[in-house]
Amino acid sequence: MHERPRHWHQWLLIMAAFAAVAILLVMPLALIFTEAFSQGWAMVQQNLTNPDMLGAIKLTLIVALITVPVNLLFGILLAWCVTRYEFRGRKLLSTLIDIPFAMSPVVAGLCYLVVYGAQSVVGNWFSGMGVQLMFALPGMVMVTVFVTCPYVARVLIPLMESQGQHEEEAAIILGASGWQAFWYVTLPKIRWALLYGVVLTNARAVGEFGAVSVVSGLIRGQTLTLPLLVQMWNQDYNTVGAFTAAGLLAAMALVTLLLKTVLEWATQHNTDNATEQKTEQDTP
Amino acid sequence: MSIRVEQIQKRFGDFTALDDINLDVQEGQLVGLLGPSGSGKTTLLRIIAGLEKADQGKVLFHGKDVTNLDVRKRKVGFVFQQYALFRHLTVADNVAFGLRMLPRKERPARSAIRQRVNELLDLVQLGHLAGRYPAQLSGGQKQRVALARALALKPDVLLLDEPFGALDAKVRKELRRWLRHLHEQISVTSIFVTHDQEEAMEVSDQVVVMSQGRIEQMASPLTVYEQPASRFVFDFLGHINALKGHYDGRSWQAGNAQLRLTTEGACPDGELTLYLRPHEADLSKTPSDSANLPVKLGARSVFGGTVTLELEALGWPAEVMEVELSRDAWQALNAQPGDTLFVHPRQLQTVTCDGNLGPRVTPA
Repeated sequence: MHERPRHWHQWLLIMAAFAAVAILLVMPLALIFTEAFSQGWAMVQQNLTNPDMLGAIKLTLIVALITVPVNLLFGILLAWCVTRYEFRGRKLLSTLIDIPFAMSPVVAGLCYLVVYGAQSVVGNWFSGMGVQLMFALPGMVMVTVFVTCPYVARVLIPLMESQGQHEEEAAIILGASGWQAFWYVTLPKIRWALLYGVVLTNARAVGEFGAVSVVSGLIRGQTLTLPLLVQMWNQDYNTVGAFTAAGLLAAMALVTLLLKTVLEWATQHNTDNATEQKTEQDTP
Repeated sequence: MSIRVEQIQKRFGDFTALDDINLDVQEGQLVGLLGPSGSGKTTLLRIIAGLEKADQGKVLFHGKDVTNLDVRKRKVGFVFQQYALFRHLTVADNVAFGLRMLPRKERPARSAIRQRVNELLDLVQLGHLAGRYPAQLSGGQKQRVALARALALKPDVLLLDEPFGALDAKVRKELRRWLRHLHEQISVTSIFVTHDQEEAMEVSDQVVVMSQGRIEQMASPLTVYEQPASRFVFDFLGHINALKGHYDGRSWQAGNAQLRLTTEGACPDGELTLYLRPHEADLSKTPSDSANLPVKLGARSVFGGTVTLELEALGWPAEVMEVELSRDAWQALNAQPGDTLFVHPRQLQTVTCDGNLGPRVTPA
C-alpha cells in the first residue's frame, strides 16, 4: 500500500515530480493554445477553414478510420492465437508483435518505401494495375497500420491469459458454436480492454509523423495529415497556423487521455469483480 | 446412460497422463474419481466430456462410440472447479444460456425457457437470486448455479471437476450431502473428480482410485477401504502410521519395541513394514505379552467424538504416530502430555518384501 509522505525530503521529491511535469508536459501544451489564439479568434477560424487544413483533417480521419478496424481485428486474432492455442513458434509470434514498438517509425517508413515503392517488384505490379501505393493514401494507411498494430494485442493478451478459457469451454459444452462462444462469452469479457486498445490505436494513428512523412511524399493538399501539416506550416513561417493544427491534435490527445482514464477505471473495476469472485469468503 | 472407457491413452509431451484406462460406469451411478494431483483424473474426465482428445482408446455412452463425437453433441453437463460462470450474465441468464444457444428450430419459446430456468433454480434452491450477477454470490451459491446451468439441457451424463475444491470445509460438507441428495432425485449418470478421500467415500456409489495415470482400484467405498487392492490405495485412504522393523519368523522388532505376530508367510524373515490405521489401536499404561510399543504422549486434539493423539516413539525409530481414541477411552486412560504409554494395535497391514500388500495381522 501507499504510505503518506512524512518527511520534508519526501515532499521535496513530490514537488520535484510536479515541477518536472509542469515544465516538460503541461507548459508546452498550454503554449500551443496560447500561440494558436495569439492573433485572435478570427485568425483561428480562418486557419481552421483553410482548404489545406480541412484536407489534412479529412485525410487524418480517413487514415484512422481504416487503421483502427484493421488493427482491431488483427489484435483480436493475434491475442486469440497466442492465448488460446499451444503451438510451435507461439513465443516467437508474441515477440514479433512488438517489432513496431521497438523500431523507429522512420525506419518502418523506409522499409515500406523499399518494399512497396515504384521501383520494387510489388510496387511495380500494383502500378501496372493502376494503383499507386507509395506517396498516396494506401501507403500512408499501410505504415500507420504497421506502427499501431501492437496496441490492441498487447492490451488483450495479458487479460485473456489471466481470464483463462473455462467460460468458453462451458459455452461450448452448452452447445455454443465457436463463433457464438466468442460473441456471447469472450467479447463481453474483454470489451473494456478492447475499447482501451482502440483508443490507444486511434491516438497513435492520428498522431503518427515519422513513418507517414517518409511515405507521404508531402504533397500539399493531397498527402498531408495533421502532424505533417504542422511541420509544413511551421517551415512556411505560418506559426499561428501550425499552432492551430497542433492545438487540434493536442485537443484530440486530451480527449484520448480522458477516455483512457475512464476505460482504465472500467477495466480495473471489472477485474476487481473477477478477483472478488475468486477470493471472497464462501458461505452456503 | 452407462459410460464405458476402453484402453484410453494420453500423453502430454513426454509425460504419460493416462495409461491404458478401462472403466465401466453403470447407468444412474455416481462415481468418484479419486487421486492425488497429477494422477490423471481431470484429464480422464475431460476426455469423457470431449474437451480433450485421447491419443488412443474409445469412449462409449450407452454402448455407442462417441470417441470422435463433438463436445456439443455428447449431451454432457460439465461443472468446473472454478465455476466458470459467465460473469457478465445474471444467474437466470447463465442457466438459460444452453437453451438460448439451441438452433432456432429446437429452441423453446421464451416463456418455456423462463419456466425451465425457474424450475432449475428451485431445484438448486436459488430461485430468489435469479437476478444477481456471479460476483454477488458466495462460492457455494456459484457452484449450485453452475450445476443448474449444466442440467438445463437435460444431459445424459453429468461430469464434475473438483466441484467443491474451491470451497471451505463446512460449505463443502453441506454441498456434497446436497449433491448426493440431488443425485437421488434426478439420477443422471455422474462422474466427479476429487482429491479428498472423505468426499469420495461419502458421496460415491463407486470409487475409482487413480495414481500416476493408472486406475489402482474401482469398487464401492467400503470395499476400497476394507480391501484395498494395492499399497497405494491403502496409503491414500486416510492417515496411516508406517512402522519399519525386522521380522524373525515369530516377532517384529524395532529398537526396544516388539510385536508378536504371525505373518502367514508374507515375509518369512527380514525387513517388514507394518501399516497401522490411527483408529485401529488402543493405548494403555502397561505393555502386554504380545505388544510392547512404548511411546510418549505429545499433542492431543479433541474434535467431535474422537480424540487424536500424537505419540512419539520411545527408544525405537519411528516417525510421530497418530492414534485416535473415543472420548470415553481417552477419559478412562487418564493420561497427561509427557506420560509414557503403550500402543496395542488391534490390526495391522503387512507390506511384503516386494512392496505389495500382505495379509492383515493381529498381534497375539
